[in-house]
Amino acid sequence: MILAVLFANVEGNILIERFSGVPAEERLHWRSFLVKLGADNLKGVKNEELLVASHKSVYIVYTVLGDVSIFVVGKDEYDELALAEVIFAITSAVKDVCGKPPTERLFLDKYGKICLCLDEIVWKGLLENTDKDRIRRVMRLKPPTEF
Amino acid sequence: MAQPLIKKDDDRDDEAEYSPFLGIEKGAVLQEARVFNDPQLDPRKCSQVITKLLYLLNQGETFTKIEATEVFFAVTKLFQSRDIGLRRMVYLMIKELSPSADEVIIVTSSLMKDMNSKTDMYRANAIRVLCRITDGTLLTQIERYLKQAIVDKNPVVASAALVSGIHLLQTNPEIVKRWSNEVQEAVQSRAALVQFHALALLHQIRQNDRLAVSKLVTSLTRGTVRSPLAQCLLIRYTSQVIRESAANTQTGDRPFYDFLEGCLRHKAEMVIFEAARAITELSGVTSRELTPAITVLQLFLSSSKPVLRFAAVRTLNKVAMTHPMAVTNCNIDMESLISDQNRSIATLAITTLLKTGNESGVDRLMKQITNFMSDIADEFKIVVVEAIRSLCLKFPLKYRSLMNFLSNILREEGGFEYKKAIVDSIVILIRDIPEAKESGLLHLCEFIEDCEFTYLSTQILHFLGNEGPKTSDPSKYIRYIYNRVHLENATVRAAAVSTLAKFGALVDPLKPRIFVLLRRCLFDSDDEVRDRATLYINTLGGDGQVVETDKDVQAFLFGPLDIPLVNLETSLKIYEPSEEPFDINSVPKEVKSQPLAEKKAPGKKPTGLGAPPAGPPSTVDAYERLLSSIPEFSNFGKLFKSSAPVELTEAETEYAVNVIKHIFDGHVVFQYNCSNTIPEQLLENVIVIVDASEAEEFSEVASKPLRSLPYDSPGQTFVAFEKPEGVPAVGKFSNMLRFIVKEVDPTTGEAEDDGVDDEYQLEDLEVVAADYMMKVGVSNFRNAWEGMGADFERVDEYGLGPRESLAEAVSAVISLLGMQPCEGTEVVPSNSRSHACLLSGVFIGNVRVLVRLQFGIDGPKEVAMKLAVRSEDESVSDAIHEIVASG
Repeated sequence: MILAVLFANVEGNILIERFSGVPAEERLHWRSFLVKLGADNLKGVKNEELLVASHKSVYIVYTVLGDVSIFVVGKDEYDELALAEVIFAITSAVKDVCGKPPTERLFLDKYGKICLCLDEIVWKGLLENTDKDRIRRVMRLKPPTEF
Repeated sequence: MAQPLIKKDDDRDDEAEYSPFLGIEKGAVLQEARVFNDPQLDPRKCSQVITKLLYLLNQGETFTKIEATEVFFAVTKLFQSRDIGLRRMVYLMIKELSPSADEVIIVTSSLMKDMNSKTDMYRANAIRVLCRITDGTLLTQIERYLKQAIVDKNPVVASAALVSGIHLLQTNPEIVKRWSNEVQEAVQSRAALVQFHALALLHQIRQNDRLAVSKLVTSLTRGTVRSPLAQCLLIRYTSQVIRESAANTQTGDRPFYDFLEGCLRHKAEMVIFEAARAITELSGVTSRELTPAITVLQLFLSSSKPVLRFAAVRTLNKVAMTHPMAVTNCNIDMESLISDQNRSIATLAITTLLKTGNESGVDRLMKQITNFMSDIADEFKIVVVEAIRSLCLKFPLKYRSLMNFLSNILREEGGFEYKKAIVDSIVILIRDIPEAKESGLLHLCEFIEDCEFTYLSTQILHFLGNEGPKTSDPSKYIRYIYNRVHLENATVRAAAVSTLAKFGALVDPLKPRIFVLLRRCLFDSDDEVRDRATLYINTLGGDGQVVETDKDVQAFLFGPLDIPLVNLETSLKIYEPSEEPFDINSVPKEVKSQPLAEKKAPGKKPTGLGAPPAGPPSTVDAYERLLSSIPEFSNFGKLFKSSAPVELTEAETEYAVNVIKHIFDGHVVFQYNCSNTIPEQLLENVIVIVDASEAEEFSEVASKPLRSLPYDSPGQTFVAFEKPEGVPAVGKFSNMLRFIVKEVDPTTGEAEDDGVDDEYQLEDLEVVAADYMMKVGVSNFRNAWEGMGADFERVDEYGLGPRESLAEAVSAVISLLGMQPCEGTEVVPSNSRSHACLLSGVFIGNVRVLVRLQFGIDGPKEVAMKLAVRSEDESVSDAIHEIVASG
C-alpha cells in the first residue's frame, strides 16, 4: 500500500497531500515528520536524486524537483524499490506538465493538471500508471499510444 | 488565468513568488462555484474553480455537510458540458468529495452512460469513480460491465477495472470473487501494467486457497511475465508457496529455488533485488543457496542509486543476524558505505559490520565509527550503541576498547534516550564481564559529575550502591557520590544518601566516615534527604564504629521490595494519617495478571505508521469482568489466565467458531466465540455440547447458551468444568455446535417462526500444561535466577530423539512449557550445534518459575536437553519436569 504522497514547498508548507489507509489522527504526525525529514536532509540535494529512509516496516523515498520536495511513503509490497518507481513516475509526469523542474509559482499554476497526474499514478494507495507519455494522454482522455 | 501586466525589471522577482492561490478563501470559492449552474457553461472558468476547490481540500480545508452537498450537486451539472478537460476534472472532483450514499444516485446514471461510452477513456474514468462511490446494490447492477472491462482491449480500461476490483474486494468480496475467470484472462495480457494489476487481484481472490495459489505460481513461473512489477509480485507469492510447502518436504531440493535463482539474472534491478531478498529469507537457507543472492546484493552496495544501496545493505543487515559468516565477503564494500551521504545507509552498514566483523578487526572498526558518530542524529547513534553492546558481549576480551568508546561518547552532547542507551550498555557490560566492572563504574562516576538527567543520575547511584561496595577499593567512589549531595537537586541528593548508606552497610572499615557524611545530610533543606539520612543513621547502628552490620539491615537495604509498587501506591493513597502508623505488611502482595495481547486476526494488519499503537488493551481484565458478570461463574475466584483464541473451524465456513480457555484455580471455562456467516439464517439456542471422556479430571458444572445468533453479529456461549484445585490437569475435549436454525427472508430481514434443530461438528480442543503457565518476562535473567536461590532447583537430562533441527526442538520445548523466552534466547543461530535458552513465567497459584535449557544436537540429529528449573515452590519445580517428561 502507498500510504502517502506529499508535496511541500521550500518552507515546508504542504502543497498537495494524499493519504491512504492512514487514520486521520496520524496524518498530522506524518506531515510534520516528513517535512522535518526533508528539512534535515534535502539541502543541497540535486533534482530527482532519491533519498531513502525506513521506520519500522514503513519505507519513505523522497526527493527534490525544482522548488518542490516530494515524499512517498509505503509499506508491504511498496518497499523502497517500488516507491522509487512511484516517485519516478511522479517526477517525470510533473516535469512533463511544467516543462521543467518547477518553481513554486509554476507548480501552483499547473496545480489542476498535477492533481490529475497524481490521480492517474496513484489510486487509493495502489500504483496505476507509470509512463509519462501515457499519463499525458489519459489526462486528456486520449487512449494510450500503444493501443 | 490572466497574464500579469508588464512590470519593471525590479518587480519581476516579486511576481515570480506570487501565488495564484494567494488570499484564497473558502467562502469566496464556494460562491464562485455557482458558475457550475450557468446555462452557458464556461469550461475554462469551471476548471479553474475546481482547481481552487482541490487546492482547498489539499490544504486540509473541510466542507460542512451542506457545503459538500451543494458543491457536489453543482459539479454533477457539469456532465452537460462536452469539454474533455472539464470532464476529467469532474471525475476527480466527485472522487474527492466522496458523496454520501443518498447523493450518489444523482450521478449514477451519468456515470453509467459514460461507462458504456464509445470513448474508452470515459469508460475507464467512469469505472474508477463508480467504484469509489458505489455500494453493494449498485455494484451488482454494474458487475456485468466491470467484467467486460477487465478483459477490455484498452489497457487503461482493463487496469481501471482491475484496480477497482482490488479495492472492492475489501468491501464486497463475494461479488469480486465471481470475476476469477476474467481476471485469469487478464493475467495473460500483453500489457505490462494490466498483468501486474491482474496478478495482484487474482492472488487476493485466491489467497485463502493454498492449492490455487500454488497452481498459479507454478504456471506463471513457467511462462513469461512481462512487467517487472508483476515479476516482483510473483517472486513474493513464490516465497509464500515455498514457506508453506517446506513443512511437507522432508528432503530433496527446495521447490522453485531455480526460479528464484534465475530471477537474479533478470534485467530489472527491482526483480533481482526481490529474488535476492526472497532467497535470504528462505527458512533454513543453506550457504550454497545464499551465495548467489549475496553476490548480487554485494554488487548493489556499490550502485550509484541510493535506493539500491539502501535496499542491499538493509537486506544484508538482516542476513547478518542469522548468517554472519555469509556476509563477511561484503565487509570491504560496507566499510566504504560508512561515509555514505545517506545516514540511514551508513548506520545500516556500521551495524552490519559490527555483526559480521571478527575480533581482530574490532579496533580498526571502532576508529572508523568514532569519526562517523559526530555527524549522525541521536536515533542512529542509539542503533550503533546497541550494536556495540552486542559486539562486546560476543568478544569479551575486547571490552577495553569498546568500553572506552562508550565512555567517550558518553561525554559528548546528546539527548536523554541516547545517553540512556549508553548507560544501559555500560551497566550490562559491567554485569556480564567481571573484568570490565571497575573501569565501567569509574566511567559512570565521571558521567554523573556532569549529568543533566536526574533519572540517569539516580539510576547510576543506585547501581553504584549495589556494585561499588564489592570492588577492591570502594572508598574511591565515595567522593563522586558525596559531591552529588552538594551539587544536585533533591531527588539526586536523596539517591546519593541511600548509596552512601549501602557503602556503610557493606564496607565496615568505611562506616565511621560514612556516618560523618550522613550526619551532614541531616541539615539538608529537603525533607526526603533528611528523612533518609536519619533512617540510615539509625538502621546502620554501631554509632559510627567499625562494626559488622546486622543481617536484617542488609536485607532491608539490598533486598527486593516484595510488594508490587502499584499495590503499595494504592494502599498509601487509601491510608489516612492517624496515630496508627502505616503498616507495610497490610499491602497485598499478589501480582495483577499480566495482560496478554490477543492474536491479531490475519489480514487485519496494523497501519504500521509512525505513531506507536496504544498499549494493548488489558484483555485479561476485560475477560475477568465478562466472566464475573455471569452468575454461574461468579464463585470461581480469581481468573488466572485466558488463552489466545483457538480456531475450531476452517476459514470461510458457514459458522466460524473459536474458543478461549479461561483458567481458574479449580475451574476451566471455555468461551466459544461464534459467528454466523449466512445472511439467510438465524440461529437460536446455540450451545456447544462438549464430550470430556478424554479429560478424566474434568467434570462439566455449568453452561450458558447463546439465545440468538443473527448473521454477521458474533456472540458467545460458555461451558464450565470443575477440576482438582491448583493441579495442571490436561485433557482432550470434542465439541459439537447445537442450535435451532430459522430461515430469514433476505428482503425483509425477518425470520420464520419455525426452526429446525441442527448440529455442526467442531474441531477438538485440548487443555495442555502450558495453559497453566503465564508468560511473564524478567528484565535481567541472571539476577532473577540468583535471587531465586537453589533451594527448589531441580535439574535433569532428557533425550528428545531425532528432530528436524535444533531450532525446531527449542521452539517445541518453549511452546510445550508456554513460558516467556528471555533475552532473545529463543533465536537459534543456524548451523549451531548447541544452544542455551532462558525462560520465565508464573505458574498457576502465582508461583514464579525460571528455566534454563541447554540443548545439544549430534550427527543423526538426535537432540539432548538439560533442564534446570528454579521456582518458589518445590512441587512446581517437579511439575515442570513432569510436563517435559510427559510431553
